[in-house]
Amino acid sequence: MQKLFESDVKGRQALEIFLESFDLSLDQDIEKTYVKKSSDGKIIATGSIAKNVLKSIAVDKHYQGSSLINEMVSYLMEECYQMGETHLFIYTKPESYKAFEFLGFKKITETNRVVLMENKINGFQDFLKNIKDKELTSPSAGIVLNANPFTKGHYYLVKRASEENPWVHVFVVWENQSTFSNVERYNLVSKGLKDLKNVSIHKGLNYIISAATFPSYFISGKDEVIKEQTKLDLKLFGDKIAPSLGINKRYVGKEPFNNTTAKYNETMKKVLPDYGIEVIEIERKKIEDQIISASTVRRLIYEGDLEKLKCLVPKSTFEYLKSPASQGVINKIKKDYNEKKLV
Amino acid sequence: MKINKEAIAGTLESSDIQITISKNHLIKNTIYLESPVKHLYEVAIKKVIMNTLEKHQITNANVKAIDQGALDCTIIARTQSAIYRATEKKEINWEAID
Repeated sequence: MQKLFESDVKGRQALEIFLESFDLSLDQDIEKTYVKKSSDGKIIATGSIAKNVLKSIAVDKHYQGSSLINEMVSYLMEECYQMGETHLFIYTKPESYKAFEFLGFKKITETNRVVLMENKINGFQDFLKNIKDKELTSPSAGIVLNANPFTKGHYYLVKRASEENPWVHVFVVWENQSTFSNVERYNLVSKGLKDLKNVSIHKGLNYIISAATFPSYFISGKDEVIKEQTKLDLKLFGDKIAPSLGINKRYVGKEPFNNTTAKYNETMKKVLPDYGIEVIEIERKKIEDQIISASTVRRLIYEGDLEKLKCLVPKSTFEYLKSPASQGVINKIKKDYNEKKLV
Repeated sequence: MKINKEAIAGTLESSDIQITISKNHLIKNTIYLESPVKHLYEVAIKKVIMNTLEKHQITNANVKAIDQGALDCTIIARTQSAIYRATEKKEINWEAID
């Protein structure tokens, strides 16, 4: 087993050709890649890690049925544990998922083209149990928010749902890949929704728009890849999460800017009705003819325009942004803008 | 001994066993086993793991064991490694190791 370095251009080319024959590629979020070569230097097996997701695992067909896949997965798992990642996921094809079942992975959900698996025996069941521990009133509505950070637009959406439904479940995207950390985002959502009494707030953890269910939300991907991932993410929601909470509506804000999110909403309207869930798309809230969006808020933070900012975010978010606790994230936004990483 | 973190030892290769140990909130050890010879040796394999845990005074572990046909000596060795990694103990308790 050897590590394939970023700088090894030739090795990477060889690997890409090898992966192509399996209809696989190297996603942008991959952090480490390993290959195993035969005595004549040809790649016979490979596997990669993106934080807690094992990806692009393939074994040359002449060696399939040997223990190479076991060796590869053991190695990747050990690497993840050493980095402190213990809840692991595998994204694979329906025809290969059995092989991973023998290695202790459990299927969470599947589409025609992909299967999502995890190494925890009751990982997903525990997630459902934890959110069910809280009060349950059905029928209810579901909303998923990244809230980076929480704005009046988010509040408007949740308030609307809370007026039209007996209960609302809000899931905060838990992947820590946004400017504001997951804890910051969760806290601002909690504070901002405090006055709505029929709303409970959950952590989406690994099961709603995460690097496992929907990696392209965080990295750019091809349209067909995005489509498959959105299907998987939404099937998990529609098939498993929603029924256990009695959710029969999902509220979503119209997405005028972001292509990936717009695609996600589009798939949502096609997929969720199959599970008896109505998708309600709400026009974005406007203030003085301008749509409220979290990216606008981040821009205003960069520009330091407190007056305008005050109009777009609830009091709780505004106060957080003025407090010393937010200094870290404000510096991060400024740095990102100066390096032109944000648009 | 106290479990500080989730730890793993062993591989998924033939004749080996992969042991994952994490903390639970019960006051007993639980073992989840997967093995191609589970129908024959489930009780025997679990007993070896349980004995090893008890020798190290582990009382609240969730053990996930993915067996590929390991012998008892391998099961003990892998369980011990996982215990030492999970408890982050540097000194080895030689009396507990046969």
